[in-house]
Amino acid sequence: MRRNFFTRRERLSASLSPILVLALSLGFIIPALAATQLTGAGSTFDYPFFSKAFYFYSQKHPEVTVNYQSIGSGGGIEQFINKTVDFGATDVPMNADELKRAGAPVVQVPVALGGVAITYDLPLLVKGGIKLSRQALADIFLGKITKWNDPEIAKLNPGATLPDLPIIVVHRSDGSGTTYIFTDFLSNVSKEWKDKVGTGKSVQWPAQNSIGGKGNEGVAGQVRQTPGAIGYVELAYVIENKMTEAQLENSSGKWLFCTLRSVQAAAATKPEVSATDFSIVDRSGPNSWPISGYSWAVLYQDPTDKARAKLTHDVMEWTVTDGQSIAKDLDYVALPENVQETAKKALAQIKL
Amino acid sequence: MRLRHLASGAGVVGSGLCAGIAAGILMLILAYVVREGAPAVNWSFLTGVPHPVGVPGGGVANGIVGSAIIVGLATVIALPIGTLTGIYLALYGRGPFADAIRFLADVLSGIPSIAIGLFAYTIFVAPFRHFSGASASVAFAILMLPLIIRTGEEAIGGVPKRVREGALALGISSYAATMHVVVPAARAGLMTGLLLAVARVTGETAPLLFTAFGSQFWELNPTNPMASLALQVFTYAISPYEDWHQQAWAGALLLILAVFILNVLARFALRSRTSR
Repeated sequence: MRRNFFTRRERLSASLSPILVLALSLGFIIPALAATQLTGAGSTFDYPFFSKAFYFYSQKHPEVTVNYQSIGSGGGIEQFINKTVDFGATDVPMNADELKRAGAPVVQVPVALGGVAITYDLPLLVKGGIKLSRQALADIFLGKITKWNDPEIAKLNPGATLPDLPIIVVHRSDGSGTTYIFTDFLSNVSKEWKDKVGTGKSVQWPAQNSIGGKGNEGVAGQVRQTPGAIGYVELAYVIENKMTEAQLENSSGKWLFCTLRSVQAAAATKPEVSATDFSIVDRSGPNSWPISGYSWAVLYQDPTDKARAKLTHDVMEWTVTDGQSIAKDLDYVALPENVQETAKKALAQIKL
Repeated sequence: MRLRHLASGAGVVGSGLCAGIAAGILMLILAYVVREGAPAVNWSFLTGVPHPVGVPGGGVANGIVGSAIIVGLATVIALPIGTLTGIYLALYGRGPFADAIRFLADVLSGIPSIAIGLFAYTIFVAPFRHFSGASASVAFAILMLPLIIRTGEEAIGGVPKRVREGALALGISSYAATMHVVVPAARAGLMTGLLLAVARVTGETAPLLFTAFGSQFWELNPTNPMASLALQVFTYAISPYEDWHQQAWAGALLLILAVFILNVLARFALRSRTSR
């Protein structure tokens, strides 16, 4: 009979095979579940670096995995204050108001170093990148220079054929540490910017022709799609997306591109950074890229769950020291050694 | 007379053209996603967990499983509540109370999903200080409710009154008449509503940001932070790295396929009702 085509044993093994597959897959899954999972949230800038660093850390220390989600610096601080994560990450340290809302002493640790590049989209490229003086950059973002062939820009780029094209300013629409670093720089170079707009994670953009983009990727995308656009983007995004960078004049009057080296040079001019004295924009020194900044991890000083806190502490200590060797492959600058020391000292304050 | 024919012809051509454009745009999106995403779909993409950037390979299997668990749990919550509400509205729904429920269901379907995500965060994440897949299921269940309620009401209401009355006339209880006669007759319609509701939330990302949180790891326990395919597409898409962009397209392709299949299933469910 047809029905007896399978022997009883065959039927048995056929019905067992799904169970076998399930058991096998559970065998793969359960070891992964056995590890303690730490959670962190915040800066999108830190995300690629953290993701790779924590991956390597877990390979060496299988007892712990770190789940880091890039919800933005502002969001990271918010979740940290709400105590829904083991640590937060932000491109600008928590301010006095945020620290007060945290309700308990907070340790802030520098974890990464990066630069903000000026990128633009023009049909006719100037070889070697267009040059923008500090004043010209501020005036563009203030909306005072509105055309690419403005005499102020033409003067800086003799020989370049600048198009008669309106300048479209692209900025972040979300609360962003990148915006903080960029507006910090503009406040440094332009009194008008400082008085009218100021420094912050999100500001009122004065330029008439301006559009917002969400995240570094959003700004990068807008700039690439919009002829005549100019925007500020973390260096990694500019390199990875092969975007055109502008040259900027630093405080020593030297023309520079944002590169790993020029960011490193800026950081080297300020060996001592702390959560209250963290700005490294517009540093003197001939090779310093003027729009640079550190990113910070935030942890509670006297955590309630000591076991988790110890694991978090160890992950962070590795990240700010040995883990920094990963940074370069991902277009980040490794923390200078003295800043690594600062970070370790900060971590030592945590009561374990 | 001539003019009338002309106007009618223009109307047919015009509306046909618009329909063509609408369908064309959809096909264009599909074709584009397939072109960008298909090359990245392979065995390791479907079975692996995410690798960090710069480490080649990796997949979204944990996201697929996470999405399935979150949506499954949401269905377990929303289906009984939604269906029973639908039954109530169809069979007993007269008067201001029922009208209020109908109105609220309509309002609920218009609330932005991110607001519902924040609601779930406030109720289930902040007090426990812990992100979880289950909190995402709650948000999804709220999103599914209005669809299940309104399609449920329609499906139950679509069963001819005489069917129920006939059952009652045979002397069975009102409960049995509803559960064993009316609901089975409306099963196809109820199924359609459910599938559409599932399709609706499968692609949702916003409510997950502050509930499921996301994860790079295998996670089968819904009380922990969980991965979801839509969330992974979002994170990959906003990264600066090319291979992550590729995986984002591939993930988007999987999402579209899932929603497409659910819609086709819904269609079949509906057809079997109308042919009956």
